[in-house]
Amino acid sequence: MIGVISYLVFFTTVAAILAIAVLGLNLQWGNTGLFNGGVVAFFGAGAYGTLILGGTPQDAHLGGYQLFYPLALLGGMMAAGLMAWVVGVLTLRLRHDYLAIATFGVAVAFENLLRNASGFAGGAQGLRGFQRPLLAWLGDGFTYNLLFLAFVLILLVLVYLFLQRLIRSPFGRLLRAIREDETAAKSLGKNPARIRLISFITGSVIMGLSGGLYGTFYAFISPQDVLPILTFQIWAMLIVGGAGNNRGAVAGAFLIWGAWTASGWALSRFAPLEMQLYTGSVQFVLIGFVIVGMLMWRPQGLFAERLVVSQTGRARQ
Amino acid sequence: MKINVTRTGLAMGLAAGISAAGGAAAAQDCTTKIGAVLPTSVDWGKPIAATAQYVVEQVNEAGGVAGCDIEMVLRDSQVDPKVGVDAAKALVDLDGVQVLLGAVSSGVSMPILTSVTAPAGVMQMSCCSSSTAFTGLAEEGKTKGLWFRTFATTGVQSAVAAMVARDKGYKSVAVLYKNDDWGQDIGKLVAADFSALGIEVTGSVALNDGQASYRAEVTEALKGKPEAVYLALYPKEGTAAVREWLSLGGTQNMIVANSLKSDEFRENVGLQYLGNMVGTDTASPRSASATKFVDQYTEHFGAAPNGPGLSNSYDATMIALLAMEAAGKDATGEAIAAMVSKVTDPDGTPVSADAEGFAAAKEILASGGNVFYQGATGNVRFDPNGDVSAPAVTWGFTEAGIEELQYISLDEVDAFMGTLN
Repeated sequence: MIGVISYLVFFTTVAAILAIAVLGLNLQWGNTGLFNGGVVAFFGAGAYGTLILGGTPQDAHLGGYQLFYPLALLGGMMAAGLMAWVVGVLTLRLRHDYLAIATFGVAVAFENLLRNASGFAGGAQGLRGFQRPLLAWLGDGFTYNLLFLAFVLILLVLVYLFLQRLIRSPFGRLLRAIREDETAAKSLGKNPARIRLISFITGSVIMGLSGGLYGTFYAFISPQDVLPILTFQIWAMLIVGGAGNNRGAVAGAFLIWGAWTASGWALSRFAPLEMQLYTGSVQFVLIGFVIVGMLMWRPQGLFAERLVVSQTGRARQ
Repeated sequence: MKINVTRTGLAMGLAAGISAAGGAAAAQDCTTKIGAVLPTSVDWGKPIAATAQYVVEQVNEAGGVAGCDIEMVLRDSQVDPKVGVDAAKALVDLDGVQVLLGAVSSGVSMPILTSVTAPAGVMQMSCCSSSTAFTGLAEEGKTKGLWFRTFATTGVQSAVAAMVARDKGYKSVAVLYKNDDWGQDIGKLVAADFSALGIEVTGSVALNDGQASYRAEVTEALKGKPEAVYLALYPKEGTAAVREWLSLGGTQNMIVANSLKSDEFRENVGLQYLGNMVGTDTASPRSASATKFVDQYTEHFGAAPNGPGLSNSYDATMIALLAMEAAGKDATGEAIAAMVSKVTDPDGTPVSADAEGFAAAKEILASGGNVFYQGATGNVRFDPNGDVSAPAVTWGFTEAGIEELQYISLDEVDAFMGTLN
């Protein structure tokens, strides 16, 4: 029994961390219409930033400043924001698929940079030596995992509430106006370029937070964690959950990550012995089916976007 | 990660072998689970997993471990750290395994170790992770003695490469390496070993996977006009890089790592250019048990164990199960890890790597003796960091295929490596 709880705590932590990243993407894509194909770069910037600032000193590469944990996490978020600012200024004038290609390129470049710059962050070996916060009191077992889950959930709720308020505010309406028709928004005297940049940076900072938590949880990060597959996974979560709906983004994260892990578990348990070697490939097929099925039968996602009328005037009917 | 060639037909044969032998296991009234997280969705991962399954069958034939049958729960890592860590956590928490085999990539094994097995006190035994980061982690005491790997550290191969360069009398060498954790490790180590022997390293160049051309990298490496070149590459990039190297007037004096020990490389480059090439590899010892492993493997799977990591996977599984036997029923991961030295004790009674060997080990352990496991990769001995050393060979290509040039015993390897530091 304790084993099941321990596993569920672990699973929920990872799912909640990914949900934060999906929320960040939802702000960019769901609300502003920015096709970010390089989610993993901002996620990675947060993870590397946090571990470099908060880790113990290592031979032969940068890092080990042993900063107080919340500061390290903030630093990771800032690293992601800074990168988003640079990338945004350079690429946000691009539309849709062009922006997707440019950001995808940024993510691949980011991964290659980290793989090669071994003096900066350990190269292909990755960054280790992160001391889990409060290790002396909590150890690194179940108690730690439980408290860390609580910490992640609090952050998830905070991010969720923040985004809910944001999209209901006039600023949120402006984001959707830009998403639907940028020229029209411009004709009303708004500055779409600036607003797009703000949305892009905010979303990326949220992804950076997610990455920072991810690195903390595993106490390790390597270029293998920031491969394009993660961008794909986070996109799948948003599409399945429902782009434009924060509740959908969170639900999508839990659902896809749940399907991803549960299918592996179920296959290892129930597949016949001679099939065991092929369960990995079968799993990929199953996951593909879920995503394709979703796109075919419910393209708006589980939770469709609810368009809010924020003017109080609608009370008169 | 240190993986090279794959044989497409092999996986099929392996699966068939498993299904055929599946029903043969002797029945015990209880079952102990062990976990395995291996990249079974990747073609070269399947044979590694099949080999581990095969060991479990053999052990069950010999009466199981501590009176119980062993069931190996196999999960796919998808070479994705998140997926591998989740699978490991599920195995530890839901299936209650005390021994975890895996993973292959260092980038997956490492987060499993730091966030699952070490905190939970579960023993982790990897067949194939080669990163030197594990040694560092073990030295800091963070692996809690729970981490082992049967893949000889890259140090052995790099040292032997330096030995070859010295014996051939090369004065300067350029290094080309694959740009991943394995390649970066071996590139760095081999450069240090060359320097330690007074051989000049004229340049050290990383090659990324999947490029159409390596002209820029090769030109860079040619700049220092080296007398020889060292290649730590996989066959595909290796072929492309060597073709450009030769066409740009590079030397045919090549020293290559075991990742290029493939017929594909020989055929695609052309034997006429490979006359001066010397390869290095860690070797099976010249013991009866190693030969026997090849024989029984060939008989069981219908193909020789030519894929990467197979003998390592065999030994990893066997040693883990021997340690479980030594620790007795319902032992914790820590207790099992503590028994690893008891079953790989050079002063113990030698046992072979098969079902009979396991049965013999059971008797010896029951009477309080120690066992010296004679494995498929040699007389495996772990150092305090969970690392193994291994004997080595040098090899070259011939018309017929691959030919061994020189065998370097474990003692010679250790002695030579001692002189490098």
